[in-house]
Amino acid sequence: MSEKIGKHIAIYGKGGIGKSTTASNISAALTDSGYRVIQIGCDPKSDSTTILRGGNDLPTVLDTLREQSKLRIEDISAIGFGGVLCIEAGGPVPGVGCAGRGINAAVELLQELNVFDEFKPDFVLYDVLGDVVCGGFAVPIRDGLADRAFVVTSSDFMAIFAANNLFKAVNKYAPSGGARLGGVIANSILAAYAPELIDDFAEKTGTNVIGYVPRSLVVAQSELYGKTVIEAAPQSEQAQVYRNLAKYIDENEDSVIPKPLNSPELKKWAREWGDRIFEVETGVVHEMASI
Amino acid sequence: MAHHLEGSRNSCALHGALQLFEAIDGVVPVIHSTSGCGVQHYLGVTRMSGGNDPFGSPPVSSSNIGQKHVVFGGGSRLREQLKNTVKVVQADLYAIVTGCSTEMVGDDIAAMAREGRDQNWPVIYTNTPGFSGDVHHGYHLAVKALIEQLPDIWKERDKVPSGLVNIWGIIPNQDPFWRGNLQELGRLLEGIGLVPNLLLGSEQSVASWQQIPGAVLNLVLSHWGELPARLLADRYATPSITLDSLPIGTAISTLLRRLTELLKLDTIRTEAFISREESRLNFQFARLADIYFHAGFQREFVLVGESAQVVAIGEFLGKSLGLLPRTLIITDNPPDSVHQSLITRLASIVPGYDTEVIFSEDRTDITEFIRASAAQLVLGSSLEREVSEESGVPFFALSFPLADRIVLERSYAGYRGATTLLEDIGTAILAFNRDCHLC
Ligand SMILES: Nc1ncnc2c1ncn2[C@@H]1O[C@H](COP(=O)(O)OP(=O)(O)O)[C@@H](O)[C@H]1O
Ligand code: SF4
Ligand SMILES: [Mg+2]
Repeated sequence: MSEKIGKHIAIYGKGGIGKSTTASNISAALTDSGYRVIQIGCDPKSDSTTILRGGNDLPTVLDTLREQSKLRIEDISAIGFGGVLCIEAGGPVPGVGCAGRGINAAVELLQELNVFDEFKPDFVLYDVLGDVVCGGFAVPIRDGLADRAFVVTSSDFMAIFAANNLFKAVNKYAPSGGARLGGVIANSILAAYAPELIDDFAEKTGTNVIGYVPRSLVVAQSELYGKTVIEAAPQSEQAQVYRNLAKYIDENEDSVIPKPLNSPELKKWAREWGDRIFEVETGVVHEMASI
Repeated sequence: MAHHLEGSRNSCALHGALQLFEAIDGVVPVIHSTSGCGVQHYLGVTRMSGGNDPFGSPPVSSSNIGQKHVVFGGGSRLREQLKNTVKVVQADLYAIVTGCSTEMVGDDIAAMAREGRDQNWPVIYTNTPGFSGDVHHGYHLAVKALIEQLPDIWKERDKVPSGLVNIWGIIPNQDPFWRGNLQELGRLLEGIGLVPNLLLGSEQSVASWQQIPGAVLNLVLSHWGELPARLLADRYATPSITLDSLPIGTAISTLLRRLTELLKLDTIRTEAFISREESRLNFQFARLADIYFHAGFQREFVLVGESAQVVAIGEFLGKSLGLLPRTLIITDNPPDSVHQSLITRLASIVPGYDTEVIFSEDRTDITEFIRASAAQLVLGSSLEREVSEESGVPFFALSFPLADRIVLERSYAGYRGATTLLEDIGTAILAFNRDCHLC
């Protein structure tokens, strides 16, 4: 592989947790700071860059590949907000074919097309489907494509579970040149206990939380306009949260190899938190409890 | 413990299924996989079985899927391939078989076969990815598909002749002598008044498979034939006789008598037949006596092959010819449950003589066992030629892969197969002795 151009970052997390929203806002914030950014949606849902493009249609790499054998970057990309180059890998219809292999094929094609050499990005964001279900979805973190992976999670157990699975994958591939973990992005923070729960999980797994994104109506509203918060409500507090995330990713190169919990540990950890939340909701106060 | 296999002689399940389908007249297999699967079947299997090319060259229908089909699913490619195949070749039956790639993706093959049947094409299917098992498993899968799916395609049954016997457990090409062996068996069954349903080989068509339910007996000639017999016992309550192999020489008389008794055949006819065949064979043994001693036929031998071959040839050479089975190597991975009975049977071929029985499909191991045996004759596949030459002992190739012989109708089964085997092994020993004198 030729020398890597730009910093390559992969965003993982459970489906619907806010990966695309977060990634798009980070991309938007990075271009706002004058960087050249490519965002690649690696999810058969193909909606990673929607809010960067005002909701316009963008043919996916795989759909285009299916129709024609020779393709150019222009066929499969669109320039979005602030000049972000938007690409959607795409995938098969649900229940047919192999989406994992699709991600693989799309990423290979982008390399063949010299997208990175031509666009000369400062940042490349891979927005990858939730659970690392099979080898195909591990491609961005496995083959040295991305340097760092970030995981988006809420305080829901299922989201934490998916994050822990990603840690397992990073843990497996990092020693042989795969991506390391840049950190945890806590999203949709609403309940009072949520930050502490996610902090605790990060601590137990030897990782750190790089930002807390509140659950906010501004996000929903901006999405309805087909825009990122950065574009639709640049003055909002929410926009500042995303800018801070972008700033962290830009200025901070720290990364770790996480120590995922095994399943009994994870179950035990979850049960303890279950008890604590119940107590909080019902007003039991323990000494030293800081919630 | 896992360890790597070298020079395995057991190809994949897809190839096992293809072996079977290609051995039935009028069946056209359609491979749904990458192009290499069909090519490999030809290069690595059919061509390596005594030149047993099904059609002289490998024209097999294959969907030859590419990355596009892996990503988006290959169902529509298969649909198209099936349609084209039906246009190009008129078949009595189209049999869809699959390879690793399409099974990883999870293409819905059953649905494609159903679509074909909705158009009144006779289509069956079986999922045969190489990762599901080896060539023997593929034989099982193909046989099972035929037994289970054919009755839905041909609802009417032809009249079945009485005394019909289905033959199971001989895997085309995996036994390079399958054609000749089946023919000899057919001749023997006819000789005692039965109607053989050989199912595979020349003049065996889909019609033969339609007659299966009406048979009076399933005759099983290796462990690989037990599954079809069981399926048929469940479906049609057909009884069966199960043997480890198809016997060679006078040992076949026991089977003929057993059949006669079980099916209440004409004993006088059977005995007359047996006596005619045996006296012919004994006459040949007698003629051989001089050269037998002169050339030193009686020697220790190693035999490498599928379990059925090792049992049949090992017992014939040991019991009828007085050769000494030093090391018997079984390469077809029979189920663990039969290991002990095979060992017991083979170790006692020559009472009081120490025979080693080994299960291995690894060429390196097999080579080592042959070296260690210090035997004076090696019978095996072409893979054993090298070590035999190196050890300076006569070698004769008779099991798969058989790269340097042409086998068209040669048989090593029954009475006539005994004669042929004698001729061939004898010739190999003589040729070796002559070469030794010359050098
Ligand atoms: N911090 C947030 N506040 C409010 N809504 C959010 C927030 N983050 C994400 N969402 C909403 O959640 C939904 C799913 O987000 P999305 O980014 O598409 O998830 P993913 O890419 O992980 O599947 C979207 O409708 C999005 O607007
Ligand atoms: S092992 Fe799999 S890929 Fe190889 S020939 Fe067999 S079916 Fe094809
Ligand atoms: Mg998404």
